[in-house]
This record gives sequence, C-alpha cells and structure tokens, in this order.
Amino acid sequence: MNRKLGVYICHCGGNISDYVDVEKVKAAVEHDEGVFLARTTMFACSDATQKEMVEDINANQLDGIVVASCSPKLHLTTFRAVAERAGLNKYNYVHANIREQVSWAHSDNKTGATEKAIHLVKSAIARVRLAESLDPITIPSRKAVAVIGAGISGMRAAIELADMGCPVTLIEREHFVGGRVAQWDLLFTTDQTGKELVTRLYDDIAKRSNIRLLTGAEVIENTGNIGDFTLKVKVTPRYINERCDEGNLQRAIDACPVEVPDDFNFNITTRKAIYHNFPSEYPQYPVIDIKNCTRCGECEKVCGSIDFSQQEKTVEVKAGSVLMATGFDPYNPSEGEFGYLQFDNVVTLPQFKRIIDMCEEKLTFRGKDIHNIAYIYCVGSRQVEAGASSAGGSATDRYEEASRDISGENRYCSRYCCTSVIHSAIETKKRFRAVNNYHFTRGIRTYGKQELLYNESLKMGDIYLQSYENDPPSVIRENGKTTVRINDIMTAGKEISVNADLIVLVTGMVPRSDNRIASLFKLPKGRDNFFNEIHMKLRPVETVIDGVTICGACQGPKNITESVNSSLSAATKSFSYVSKGELELEPIIARVDAALCTWCGKCMEACPFDAVKKVVDGGKEIAAINNSVCKGCGMCLPVCPVNAIDLVAYSDQEMETMINALAEDIK
Amino acid sequence: MAEKIFKDSFDALVIGGGIAGGEAALNLANNGFRVILVEKDLSIGGKMIHLSKVFPTLDCSACITTPKVSEISRHPSITILTGSEVKKIVKRGKNDFEAMVIKHPRYVREEDCTGCQLCEQACPVVVNDQYQYDMVGRKAAYIPFSIASPRVAAIDIENCTLCGACEKACPTKCIDFTQEATEYQLSLRSVIIATGFNLFDPLKIERFGYGKMKNVITSMQMERLLAPTRPYNTVLRPGDGKMPCRLAYVLCTGSRDITVGNPICSQICCMYSIKQAQLLMGALPMADVTIYYINIRSFGKGFEEFYDQAKGMGVNFVKGKIGMISEKEDGDLILRYEDINDNVVKEASHDMVILSVGVVSNPDNAAFFDSGQLRLDPFEFVCQTDLLASPARTSIGGVFVAGTASGPMDIPDSILSAGAASSEAMSYIIRK
Ligand SMILES: Cc1cc2nc3c(=O)[nH]c(=O)nc-3n(C[C@H](O)[C@H](O)[C@H](O)COP(=O)(O)OP(=O)(O)OC[C@H]3O[C@@H](n4cnc5c(N)ncnc54)[C@H](O)[C@@H]3O)c2cc1C
Ligand SMILES: Cc1cc2nc3c(=O)[nH]c(=O)nc-3n(C[C@H](O)[C@H](O)[C@H](O)COP(=O)(O)OP(=O)(O)OC[C@H]3O[C@@H](n4cnc5c(N)ncnc54)[C@H](O)[C@@H]3O)c2cc1C
Ligand code: SF4
Ligand code: SF4
Ligand code: SF4
Ligand code: SF4
Repeated sequence: MNRKLGVYICHCGGNISDYVDVEKVKAAVEHDEGVFLARTTMFACSDATQKEMVEDINANQLDGIVVASCSPKLHLTTFRAVAERAGLNKYNYVHANIREQVSWAHSDNKTGATEKAIHLVKSAIARVRLAESLDPITIPSRKAVAVIGAGISGMRAAIELADMGCPVTLIEREHFVGGRVAQWDLLFTTDQTGKELVTRLYDDIAKRSNIRLLTGAEVIENTGNIGDFTLKVKVTPRYINERCDEGNLQRAIDACPVEVPDDFNFNITTRKAIYHNFPSEYPQYPVIDIKNCTRCGECEKVCGSIDFSQQEKTVEVKAGSVLMATGFDPYNPSEGEFGYLQFDNVVTLPQFKRIIDMCEEKLTFRGKDIHNIAYIYCVGSRQVEAGASSAGGSATDRYEEASRDISGENRYCSRYCCTSVIHSAIETKKRFRAVNNYHFTRGIRTYGKQELLYNESLKMGDIYLQSYENDPPSVIRENGKTTVRINDIMTAGKEISVNADLIVLVTGMVPRSDNRIASLFKLPKGRDNFFNEIHMKLRPVETVIDGVTICGACQGPKNITESVNSSLSAATKSFSYVSKGELELEPIIARVDAALCTWCGKCMEACPFDAVKKVVDGGKEIAAINNSVCKGCGMCLPVCPVNAIDLVAYSDQEMETMINALAEDIK
Repeated sequence: MAEKIFKDSFDALVIGGGIAGGEAALNLANNGFRVILVEKDLSIGGKMIHLSKVFPTLDCSACITTPKVSEISRHPSITILTGSEVKKIVKRGKNDFEAMVIKHPRYVREEDCTGCQLCEQACPVVVNDQYQYDMVGRKAAYIPFSIASPRVAAIDIENCTLCGACEKACPTKCIDFTQEATEYQLSLRSVIIATGFNLFDPLKIERFGYGKMKNVITSMQMERLLAPTRPYNTVLRPGDGKMPCRLAYVLCTGSRDITVGNPICSQICCMYSIKQAQLLMGALPMADVTIYYINIRSFGKGFEEFYDQAKGMGVNFVKGKIGMISEKEDGDLILRYEDINDNVVKEASHDMVILSVGVVSNPDNAAFFDSGQLRLDPFEFVCQTDLLASPARTSIGGVFVAGTASGPMDIPDSILSAGAASSEAMSYIIRK
C-alpha cells in the first residue's frame, strides 16, 4: 500500500526543542517512504496548528499522520479528533512521544536525544504505513449509577444524578448515612451543624423516587465493565422492623446489658448493642450490632419491633457507571505519640469535636474541668522521613515524657485541620467559661477566606506558638500535671511551657483502613495512598478503570465544599457515561485467528479481565474474545503456542517494522 | 450604538472564558446543552493560558490549556463571543432569563482573517503589550498573543492613528474600520458566572517600590518571563537586561493585610512562588532564590511534597515580613525585613524582587443584575449562598458561580468548582 503521510514535530514551546533539534528530526524523516510532508510546530496542540493539520490532510488527501510531541496520555484524543475532523479514520494517526521519553529524560545529552527522537518518529512512520481504519465498538450502557458511600460526597452526587433523570443506587456500609459530617457539630465556615446538613440531604434523598438507598450494605463482588457493571451487595439487617414505636425502642436500648466502645464518639464513650448514634439519625430507627449482641433477649421483652429472624441478603445492583465516595479515616496516633493513650487527658481532634458536642454548660472530660487547652498541630500529617526527627521519651513515675516522633509515611498536609481546630477553639471559648487556647502549630494554613477565622481567634486572645521543623513540641507529665513544651519560633526560639488540662492532637486524614473496595475495583492509588485520578487538571474525577469515577475525601484530604465540588463533577462525568444509553469503546482488542487456534485454554488463564471464552465454531473448539470486556492489554498474546492471537493496531507485523526502524542506523 | 441586533436562545450563558468558564461550557455542551460563552477579552483562556508551568505537577500550562481552548472553540454546541460584555440580565421566571450582550467591534472580520500578521508588521504604532504585562511593546494592529483563540488580529482603536497601513497590507482585505458594536438579545435557561479574579494592584503599597523601581516586578510578569512564549526568551532584569542572580519573593503582597483592606489569604501565591522558584533554579542555575513568607500554605494534593522538593533544590525560605524595599544606584534592591526566627530587623540585598500579588474580586459581577439581586460577599466575590451543600449556588435561582469568581482558588479547584456549577445548571434545566 502506498501511503501519503504527514508528519508533525512539536517544539512544545521549548519543552522539546530546548533539548531535541526538531529541525534535524524533520530533515531526517521528510524523505522517508510515504512521507508527503513534514512540519515542525511551536505547539502542535494549539488551535491554529490543529486547523493547519486539517487543511493539510484535506488539501493533500493524506491517508496517515504522525504527531511527535508530548505523551499520548495528554493529547491522544486531541489528535484523533483532528484526524476525524479531516475525514481521516482516527486510527490512521500514530503518536510518537518525544517529550516525556526524550527531551525530559535526556536533557543532559542533546545529540543523543535528537537521535532517539529520530528513531521514535521513524518507527511511528513505519507503523502508520500499516495502520488499518477501525470503527469503534459500540456497546449499550445502562442508564443507572451505583454510588458507593453515603457521606456528604455520595449523598450529594446521588441527588444530582437523580435530578438529571438517572436512577441511582446509593450503597452505604454503615447503618446510618452522612459519613463523617454527621459526627461534627458546628461546621466551619458557616456554623451549620453536621446533623442539620445530613438531615437536609437525607430528606432530599427520601423525596426522590429514583434513588434506592441501601444501608448496612457492602459490595462483595464486582463483575462487568463500563456500561454494564454488576455488583453483588451484602445487606445486613437491622433486626428491627421498619415501622417501630420509638418509645419502646428507647426502652429496648435501656434494657440492653451489653456495652461496647462507641466508635461514633471515637471510643470516648460506650454504647449498647442496640443503638443509634444520635436521636433522629437517618434512617430514623436503631440497629442491633449483631457482632456484639449476646442474644440475651432483654430488648425483645420490652419492644415488639425487634425481629431476630431477619436474614442477611445479597442484592444485585446493575449500573452503567460506579461513583466512588468512600471517604477517609482520621489519623489514629500510635500509643504514646504525644502522650496518646499514655496520658488520660490527651485526645484527638475528632474526639474533641465529640466532647464539645456532648458537654452542655461546663467543659469537662473524664470528670475534670477543662480550662487550659493545648492543640498540637499536624499530628499524622506533614511527617518526615524516619531519622529526621528527634524523638524523646524516658519514663519514670514522676516525670514522663511522651514520644514526639513525627516520622512516617504521610508527607502531605491534611488541609482541613488548621481551619477545623481554630474554628473549634473559637466555639469552645464562646460556649464555655474561662477557656484558654494554646496552639502549637507548624505554621497556620487557613487558606483563602478561612483566614478570617484565624484573625477572629487572634482577636479573642488565643495564643499561637510555632515549632521548628524537626523539633516538635513535647508532652510531659510531672506530679500529675501535663505540660506541653516547645521551642517557639515566634519568640526566637524561647522555650515555652504550657500547663494543659486537655491536649488535643490535631490529627490529619488518612485513607480508609478497610480498603477492600479498592481491590474489588482495581483502583489505583497515589503516592499518598488515596485513590488517584487520571490527571489532576484534565481528568480530575476519572480513574484508569473505565466507568469508575472518584470524589470527596477518598481522593485526598478535602473540606466539605471541596468534597461536594468534586462530587458534583464526578456526577456529571458518570452521567455522561450512561446518559446516551450507549458507549463507544476502543477497538484496540485481541483478535483470534480461528484457523490457527487449537484451543489450549492458555489465553483464558492469562486474561486478567475474563474476556476469553471457549466457543465452538464450525465443529472446532476455539477461543473467542468478548469485545466489550477485552481491554487490549495483550497478556494473551505471548502465551499462545501457535501464535493465533494478534492485537488490533499492535499486530506482530506492526511491531516488527517498528523494531526494524528503531534498529536502523541514522546518518 | 449597536448596528445589528441578533436574537437567539440557549440553555446556558457562561460569562467568562477562563479555565472555569471553559470547563463549565464543555461539560454542558458534552451533555447535549447549547451554550453561549461571553468573554470580555479578545481571546478565551483566562489567566491560565498565560502561565508558564503549573504547580504541583509542572505541566506546561499552554499544553494543557490550548487543547481545552480548541475543544471549546470548535464545539458545535458552544457559541463564543469574544470582546463582548454582558450588559444586563433579567430573570423573568424559572428557566427564563433575558440577557443583553454587546460585542465590541474588533475592526477585523474574524471569519476572513488568516492570522498572517502582515498588518502587525505594517502598523507604525507601538504601545505596551498587555498580554506580556507591559514588559514589551506591540502594535495597534495586533494578534493578541501567539496561542490566542481565535487567533485573529484586532485593531486597538484607542491607539490607532487611522493611517491605513494595515488595511493596505492585509491580503484578505478583512480590516474594516466601519465595524460597529453588535447587540445580542438572548433568552436563556440558566447562567454561570465565571468571571475570574483580578490581580492585586501593587502600586497600592508604595513602600515596595513597584512602578518606581524597575527591577521590582509582579509574579504575573515573572510567569511571562518563564513561559514558552516569553518576551525576552530568557529571564532578564527589566531595568538593565542583566541576568539576575539573587532573586527575592515577597509573599502575601496585598493579601492577609488589613492596611490594604484585604485580610484574606489568596490561597495560590505561596504555591506559584514555590513553582517559579523551582523553574528559576532550572533557568538560572547560578541564581539564589529567597522566599520571604509569613506561613507557607502548601495544603493541596502533592503540595507539601512540592514545597519539600523546593527546599531540597536549595530555595531559601525566610520567615519574615518585608517592611520596605529601596533601590541602589546599580538597580539592586535592599529589603528591610523582620526576621521572625531571630526576632530582629535585618536587611538583605537582591538584584530582582518579585511581588507575589494576591487575588482580588472582579468588580464586573455587581453590574450583571439589578442592584442587590446577586449577593456578593464582603470582599465582593460572588456569594455562595449554600457553601457546604451546593457551593455553586448563588442568591438567584438558576445562576451559578464557577472558579475564582467566588474567591481565590487554584486551577484544580477551579475546574472542580466548574464541574459543580455545570452539574447544578444541568439538573436545574432538566428539573424545569
Ligand atoms: C475532626 C474533623 C472536623 C471536620 N470539620 C469540618 C468542618 O467543620 N467543615 C468542613 O467543611 N469540613 C470538615 N471536615 C472535613 C469533612 O469531614 C470531610 O470533607 C467530609 O467528611 C468528606 O466527605 P466524604 O463523603 O468524602 O467522606 P466521609 O464523610 O468519610 O463519608 C464516606 C462514607 O462512605 C462510607 N463507606 C466507606 N467505605 C465504604 C464501602 N466500602 N462501602 C460502602 N460505604 C462505604 C462511609 O461509611 C461513609 O458514610 C472535618 C474533618 C474532620 C476529621
Ligand atoms: C502568577 C500566577 C501564577 C499561577 N500559577 C498557578 C499554577 O501554577 N497552578 C495553579 O493551579 N494555579 C495557578 N494560578 C491560579 C490560576 O491562574 C487560577 O486558578 C485560574 O486562572 C482561575 O481560573 P478562572 O477561570 O476562575 O479565572 P480567570 O483565569 O481570571 O478567567 C476569567 C475569565 O473571565 C473573563 N471575564 C472577566 N470579566 C468578564 C466579564 N465582565 N464579561 C465576560 N468575561 C469576563 C476574563 O477575561 C477571563 O478570561 C496562578 C495565578 C497567578 C496570578
Ligand atoms: S492543615 Fe494545618 S494542621 Fe492540618 S496538616 Fe496542614 S498544616 Fe498541619
Ligand atoms: S490604521 Fe491603525 S492599526 Fe492600522 S496600521 Fe495604522 S495605526 Fe496601525
Ligand atoms: S487582519 Fe489581515 S493582515 Fe492582519 S493578520 Fe488578519 S489577515 Fe493578516
Ligand atoms: S497563599 Fe501564601 S502568599 Fe498567598 S496570601 Fe496566602 S499565605 Fe500569603
């Protein structure tokens, strides 16, 4: 086939041309077989160059193009669209990455970089000569979205999707909705309460007939793919009939003899085996925690709504797209970290939020009045590599110093906590008498308008101290008194000690410890171990798993506004996968040569996506590929003993000509 | 006044074609809604199209903006009006807005201009180039900047002497001095405000010497000096063209400062300064870069790691507030500052100072609706009336806000906020 090809080599505004001699690349390839024109351009992706390419293709009837620029991760779709606009099948465009793979990787060797670029462009030209025109695979897409996690992010996404006319199944692992926000009383920066907010959203959900809410529900199996996911969801019963008498239920709670730590209150209180987290929590009736229930039957005696015959169910949920909103865990300090679990007056910020919510007139904790509060910032965030921080800790009866190790994996800043602790400190001072707040910070990060809270707290007389990097404050217990000691930057290194009644560790956000859901969906994680998006700016809520979007704090620390912004973005994205009822998929998949295949089954074993099945074709057993499941990963290719499988657009022949081009000598 | 009047109807009016407005328009259009995007400037792309690289990934800004911009500009469901202003919007009922938009004359017929730049070469008038933040000149007949969209010429009529040189040079005869403003009467079902932010004007802090001392520049000017389409093709001191080797950043210029009436933090300037410092270490391997800060606010995904990276590269971070800047005869600058670590006032000499100017609101927002209808916050950003549950909502039903029009934020947050605004607009339109 004699092709007429166009080749475009991008300067990337210096990103490439500072290290690769693009004119030389052009000269080296412009006389290659089939190359009709070769051009260099400042920004291949710019509107003007795109227009020029379309004109070139049309005017010269080009039947293939090569673009040598940045990573195809960034612009594959851009240039495919250019080809399509010019009436050229988009698979007749081949990309060469001469930025990430050349100019950025070899900025120390310009000659070598230019040579490598020439090789890559030549091999792309070799491949485009063989490129076939392909049509996308069209598959039906079910107009339904499964939202996993009914925290603020998941609830908000579900409401928005429902309003766009898309049926939603909202799957929540706990028996109550609202996620973390339900645990916070006053919220920054609006002073609404978490309960108000959750109640409002729950009402909005209840009003919408196209949202199905499953609580106590956990996804245990995931099959299928974009357009057609099938989830198996295990739903644990509440053991309480829906239409129950609230008065009797309270009596049942009172009657229950079992007491366990209450994780809603971060274990500073206990609850019964039959419980709700707070009155009128949603859904509005309690639940029996069957793991801790001893089946003593006391509750049944006082309340007729209790029903131990309820069974665990498995529900099948079908959806075209899955929206992941599973949130975060608060960082859990290790025993002894700044005195946590070592001294009885050291708590975390989430615990402190619960304490101030539960105290009415007086601020007390474990029976003691609280006046002086010390807040130690960045616990579990902004950690340094092991060895870089100084650790203390000798223990005698009268003098005990807590560990002040700040080394760990969490390099990131948790973003919400400076604002949250300052807001809570202000609230504490306003609500309770004679409270003094001492903030042991590592530099305040009340970004944006949140700065106003910091200003307010300064005006109210809160004291701010700042530790040196690698010299965190220490917590000391002496003669029954707890002191926080710091070398303070704000007073040029003076050592300052504060006698504190309560020490609040301002703990950050970490990924959920139970992350089975991530492995079920093969979700990728970033350096910080939170779920990772494809590209922070170009595709901020999409994942590499087609059809699965992410939002909220499961993606990284966020406050409520930021969580909701991402959740609504993810709702739009998920909606776009399902709204049209069908989807176009890449035709780059494996192809079996029926004549060669002898069905040994090796490909079926190798396929990570279960795309290979045995079929009988003309009396012969052969392998067949499921087009909508195959991802074109190529795992089956090398295992086939008779070489009966090829990858469309990456055929052996194409690979071989590319290798030949790469091996060719260049002058 | 307006020569022609056009009438049309759309599902959504997006005001402002920066990254937030562009993203919102694309989301709507990709889901089948018809959008009109009104941009005041001659090109869409907002501030982002002029940036060098972006934190915290150091992607080249033009490389991620231009494909978006070109996707927007050729989307069949998006109509773009550049050089245009929204004069008045009236809400008649739910899903029923009327807007009047004026497209100012460009004096060039956009359809016919090929962007050949011959008019530019012919024009004898030279004025400051606003797109290079006044560091170099441009002509009165000019293409706004090389990656502008649309990439067509415009005549800066205020500075034009009407000599006619460009008209003669233009091969397609598309220069038309008789062009008049066009009025559009639009009927709409929802509105998204994405008018972005303004930069703090450093002339308001006289003691920093901006405008008087040539080697004191703003961070936006430094973005231009570092960008691929930069004015001098290298980083130079504007005063004498010398290559700087002791650069200083003054953080919080015009932010967290009640003396200039702006107590809030601008949220982006710590990070863009750290980014520029890293780029400068690459561009000027011999240079020292010092960042004078109150607090470093590297709070976002990957930000703290980016800050650590800068420290590792040798960027010098000094916790201190700048009192004043004075100039020596050779153009070098003396910074008087309070060193907080040592608790003493110190002086340091630098040969170039970059003011990390903050984010202030765009006053245009007050005029779109009859007075008082669109609530603004105390700093005149568009007020988010349901900040926690519906951050894109404003005081007017069916009017949503995207990006920095509601307050300082970086590009990732602007994009997510645009996602929220378009999502709410879509469900608002569908709900009817
Ligand atoms: C102490 C503290 C105080 C805070 N105060 C404020 C404040 O005042 N203002 C503010 O704006 N922000 C505040 N925040 C931040 C706020 O809590 C988060 O922004 C918000 O909770 C994020 O919501 P989310 O829905 O993404 O995650 P989450 O709230 O964590 O919700 C996730 C939900 O998913 C469920 N889930 C998890 N895994 C699964 C699974 N496998 N299957 C099914 N369901 C699952 C969980 O049970 C939960 O209901 C605070 C955070 C902390 C730690
Ligand atoms: C020096 C500097 C460096 C930065 N570096 C980074 C970085 O590295 N990474 C990062 O994430 N962020 C960075 N930022 C922040 C980034 O610029 C903003 O987050 C982003 O530009 C906000 O986009 P926007 O669309 O909200 O606003 P804008 O970019 O301001 O766009 C608003 C648009 O609306 C138009 N407009 C205004 N008024 C009207 C009107 N009345 N009618 C019609 N149109 C109107 C404007 O002309 C403009 O096109 C930087 C900012 C600065 C100043
Ligand atoms: S937000 Fe504040 S307390 Fe939280 S990790 Fe960041 S700097 Fe530390
Ligand atoms: S007519 Fe105006 S714009 Fe044209 S060349 Fe003369 S001065 Fe320049
Ligand atoms: S106005 Fe005419 S001369 Fe100027 S760029 Fe456009 S086509 Fe060329
Ligand atoms: S982001 Fe940094 S430089 Fe900007 S105002 Fe806030 S603290 Fe100051």
